[in-house]
Amino acid sequence: MTTRRLTAFIDALAAGRRPDHYHADPEDAEVLRAAITLRAARPGDAMPDDAFVAELYKSLADERSTPDGSNVRPLRMRRTRAALIGVAASVALIGATFAATEASNNGATTTSAIPAPHGKVLQTATFETSQGRAVGQIVVYGGSPGWVFMNVDVPTSDGMVKCELRMMDGSVVAAGTVDLHHGSGVLSKEIHVDTNRLQGATLYSPSGAVVGSATFA
Amino acid sequence: MSFAPKPTAFRSRSDSDDTDVARLRVVDPDTYTDWESVYRDNIDRLYRLMYARVGNRPDAEDLTSEVFRTALGPLRLASSKGEVRSYLLVTAQTVLAAHWRRTLGLSVTSIDPEADLDALTERSGPEEVGDAPQRVGKILASLPERYRRILELRFLEACSIKEAAHTLEISVSNAKVLQHRALRMAAKVGLEFEQ
Repeated sequence: MTTRRLTAFIDALAAGRRPDHYHADPEDAEVLRAAITLRAARPGDAMPDDAFVAELYKSLADERSTPDGSNVRPLRMRRTRAALIGVAASVALIGATFAATEASNNGATTTSAIPAPHGKVLQTATFETSQGRAVGQIVVYGGSPGWVFMNVDVPTSDGMVKCELRMMDGSVVAAGTVDLHHGSGVLSKEIHVDTNRLQGATLYSPSGAVVGSATFA
Repeated sequence: MSFAPKPTAFRSRSDSDDTDVARLRVVDPDTYTDWESVYRDNIDRLYRLMYARVGNRPDAEDLTSEVFRTALGPLRLASSKGEVRSYLLVTAQTVLAAHWRRTLGLSVTSIDPEADLDALTERSGPEEVGDAPQRVGKILASLPERYRRILELRFLEACSIKEAAHTLEISVSNAKVLQHRALRMAAKVGLEFEQ
């Protein structure tokens, strides 16, 4: 019965994607262990990505600099997507200002304006449950670096919700975790993916259940 | 047993001491001075260990993050580097076990804080990837040619099942069956090598 899921798990491993959860049979374990051993031996994949190392460092530093050990501030759902877009635009502006300052300090003579975010630079979507209930919003800023902003509101839940970005080629990229306080939480984070190839995002509970998913237009 | 000086409190200031000198701290080379040094010294190796246990980058990144988030809070920097690494490994063991519980409902791989301590020590340099390639090479060499080739194509050469089928001049369905049988035999051979 689980052969198809076992095959899907192995296919994901071979392709470098995060495998889906399933209830495995004990006899699957040896096959999966062999597949993991083989995949882990692929040359060039064993070292961490520089961006991941830098992001985790920044995230840990942020957590340790806040009194409650968390960089996630509660945000109620009544703060609309427009507010998130405002945050995204602010960061984009800060980035642009920084770039302009750097150019000025380096004696650059070009006077071309730094473009404000527009078009596909900002992408927004709503997280919805399988029943169509909205449980949050996500905004992706496609600058360099890119940023993701999201708010999540699951009134009956506390704890962590994991977010993954889905790419058009089927691969997934971990976007981070949102700490829910009284059901609500936000996340803002630098991302290093081609935002033009983003398809959507999915929220997972700690048990692996899908909390909600969002698809970019 | 190390005879390196243990970290001490700041030296007491006296009238003859220069203020800066008085505030110098004796640094024990066997301890970490701050959480950043714990992070820098262990992030690569811990990630590699996790990657070897889950075989994919997204999970390895998440689990490595979880280990540091869990471990750094209560970490005592006065502990020796060895103790800090042992603590990181015990945390990693728990994090990995929880991962498999929620992902598959059973343990597929594990971390042994004692047996895997070498993975976090200086003896394994950042460029090294352990003995995994050699072990995999031995396993593959023990397999029949078709089994070996399908596993090489799929897991080492990043071919899709369709590409692997095309290379082997078989149908996709046959390639899936071949891969499944090859993995079962590789698992058996791997177990025999471990014993």
